[in-house]
Amino acid sequence: LPSSFLCVTVSAVWVGLVCLLFYSRLVRVGAAPICTNGQAGCHILSLADLFDRVIQHSARMHGISSDLHSEFEQYFFPSKNHIGRVNRICHTSTILTPNGKENAQRLAREELTEVILKLLVAWRDPLWHFQQSIAHHHDFNNFSSNKALEMSDMVHELRKGVEKVAEKMQMLGIISNSVNSLTSPEALIPSDRAEWRLMKDYVLLYCFRRDSNKVQNYLKILKCRIIPQHEC
Amino acid sequence: SVYGVLLFLCLLDVYKISGHFGPPGKPKLTSCRSPEKETFTCWWEPGSDGGLPTTYALYYRKENSDAVYECPDYHTAGENSCFFNKNDTSIWVNYNITVVATNALGSNFSDPVDVDVVYIVQPHTPENVTVTVMEDKDGPFLRVSWEPPRKADTRSGWITLIYELRVKLEGEEEWEEHRAGQQKMFNIFSLRSGGMYLVQVRCKPDHGFWSEWSSTTYIKVPDYFPRETSVWILIAVFSAFIFFILTWILNLKSNSVKHCLLPPVPGPKIKGFDKQLLKNGRSEEVFSALVVPGFPPTTSSDCEDLLVEYLEVYTPEEQELILEEGKDLQEGCLKSKGSPSDSDSGRGSCDSHTLLMEKCGEGEGKEEKHQERAQKGKRQQKHQTGWEEGDVSHTREDVLSPDMSEGRVKTWPSVFSPLPQYSSRPLDHQGSLETARQLCLSDSLFPPPSTSSHLSYNAKEGLAASGLQLPGFRSTEYVEVQRVNQEDMVILQPLFSSSCQRDGHLQIGQGEDYSKVKGVDSGNMLLLQREVEVKREEEDGDRYSCDIQDRVTESCYTTSTAASSQVTGKPTSCAGTAMPVQEEMVLAANGYVDAATIRQQEMCQVRVETKTHSNKG
Repeated sequence: LPSSFLCVTVSAVWVGLVCLLFYSRLVRVGAAPICTNGQAGCHILSLADLFDRVIQHSARMHGISSDLHSEFEQYFFPSKNHIGRVNRICHTSTILTPNGKENAQRLAREELTEVILKLLVAWRDPLWHFQQSIAHHHDFNNFSSNKALEMSDMVHELRKGVEKVAEKMQMLGIISNSVNSLTSPEALIPSDRAEWRLMKDYVLLYCFRRDSNKVQNYLKILKCRIIPQHEC
Repeated sequence: SVYGVLLFLCLLDVYKISGHFGPPGKPKLTSCRSPEKETFTCWWEPGSDGGLPTTYALYYRKENSDAVYECPDYHTAGENSCFFNKNDTSIWVNYNITVVATNALGSNFSDPVDVDVVYIVQPHTPENVTVTVMEDKDGPFLRVSWEPPRKADTRSGWITLIYELRVKLEGEEEWEEHRAGQQKMFNIFSLRSGGMYLVQVRCKPDHGFWSEWSSTTYIKVPDYFPRETSVWILIAVFSAFIFFILTWILNLKSNSVKHCLLPPVPGPKIKGFDKQLLKNGRSEEVFSALVVPGFPPTTSSDCEDLLVEYLEVYTPEEQELILEEGKDLQEGCLKSKGSPSDSDSGRGSCDSHTLLMEKCGEGEGKEEKHQERAQKGKRQQKHQTGWEEGDVSHTREDVLSPDMSEGRVKTWPSVFSPLPQYSSRPLDHQGSLETARQLCLSDSLFPPPSTSSHLSYNAKEGLAASGLQLPGFRSTEYVEVQRVNQEDMVILQPLFSSSCQRDGHLQIGQGEDYSKVKGVDSGNMLLLQREVEVKREEEDGDRYSCDIQDRVTESCYTTSTAASSQVTGKPTSCAGTAMPVQEEMVLAANGYVDAATIRQQEMCQVRVETKTHSNKG
């Protein structure tokens, strides 16, 4: 028997042993597909799942807005004092939002849902314009412009998601049917359309970071109020 | 009284000028923190107090409002702090906070700080951290569970906390940290048996600061035998077992492995050869030592060994020499060396004469060979002429060298096959080779000495004493050396001895003609016997008709010596057309008996041509 053959045999045996050992540890998790219309063999999204989805979405949106805000702050406003003097008036300040836990808990579910939708609707256009200006602005790198684009898309997606949640809640009888009528942007902010065009980019980012945090928080409150047993 | 006031002011001015007193230094807001996103506290650092009692006040403005408010609570949170309770705290509202230090001589404003409560949340440590040891099939593990800090309202979803825990063995320096996400429970596996573990937990809101680590919880793991180790032990034992098996196999086959990796280098191997003796002693002694009793072997078993390795030599003018190593080659070579009169005599080895000559370092041999070949080349059916011109030594060699043992003839075909005139019968050579082999392989192939005539060769005297003439029925005739008898005589026999037949395949006749040597007469001549065994004739009667070219059943060989040339042949009766054979043959000049001539004549007669040759070697 040539020694090379022996070497091959020994190494093959070792490889076989190692493979056997690790194969037993491999765990496979199968994921059931998600269906929208209750097709057979797929996993129907429950309200809890929908809430989880929109909350994750809003968390991601807030994360991106925080990143962009810090970038802006780092490059354009190194001095904090200078920030203090800026008049930071957000165009969404006209929307009445609860500023505390008790205030938020005092709101009805429908009102809370409404506030969320109002905020999301109010930010759709400003973010789109912001992303456009970022894309043409050579001061920003590609990373920032990608984030801005993603942020803009996400507001749009999140609004659709929250509307779906509202639909589901209405379907389940959790909330009344008064929410849908308030989704048109014109009805929400009729007079502020011109204002946000005057907002500077930094203020926009500052305002949006805060509003995205509000949205995330309100969604969580809503979820824990409606489905308290699920991670609350 | 006026003077009193003036004096007082003067004194005050004096103090002021002396530098002991002054307005307070600038305070600094160090941090603001909210434990649950419902209240918050701000702390400041006072500057120098200027030597005078200084008071501090905190003022704040809310976002986009010019109304200035003062801190509602300076005491709850301790020294130099301001506590904002729930009523005063608004989330998602920007607070602009300033601290003012005031003393008798002046006041000093700190730098303003913007605070949004959402981003300054730092919860308290998690509470009720419990660690228990639980059992699993793989071994014990630690289950750590805790609760969120009391004040943080996670139940309503107002705050979302994520947790982190860290573990270490007692005495270790490095902590092992684990993220637990939003869950309030965590399992730790792979514990050291009998170890004491320390566990700590902390938490953080999704946008905020980490809390402090909770107080350490101690837990001791009971003793156990780790299952993982047993699995590894099993694997190690199994692998060791396989390894030993392989090593054992390798050891058994070490020879073949060695042979494969380090093929043996060919080198001269001579049985009984003593270098020292050669250097010191006389050549006769050396060569006498080489003569091994019982050699050439009479039994077929030895033949096979001798057949294995041998050298094939091709004439360079015709073909390359192919040399193979053979024990007997050297022996034969040396033997020939020993004989002064003949360079290539007494070979008795399975090597071709050309090789022997080269081995012996005799260029003359080559010449001879070439000469012979050239001569043989001329030979067509007229071997006589060829033989005449050939070298006696060659003939002798031809006769002897093919067979120290039976079946050595393989070299012969290879030696002579390249010659063009022999190319017409390549098969013959092969056949004779085959036959030779066959002859070697069977005891029965070789007739007992009594039934055949043998050529005895006195090894000691070398081939000079006698010569074998090989009558070439085609181009060459072969004589096998059956053995060396006790009297140091080489007993030859025709290769195609009728006894050596197998499957009727006796193709010896095809091109190679061998004859048995009957004996050596007084004139050191080999007496050849033309012999056809009855047995063979019976079986293959067709094949052994003398008139068939492809078959030579009878040949008469003679060898010629340097001294004389005689040929005696005793042809036996041929099958069919056998004719009486002359008792005496004439040795050809080259010592070969031309069997072809006999065939041509369709007579079982052997004509031998001999010639004297000069001493060689």
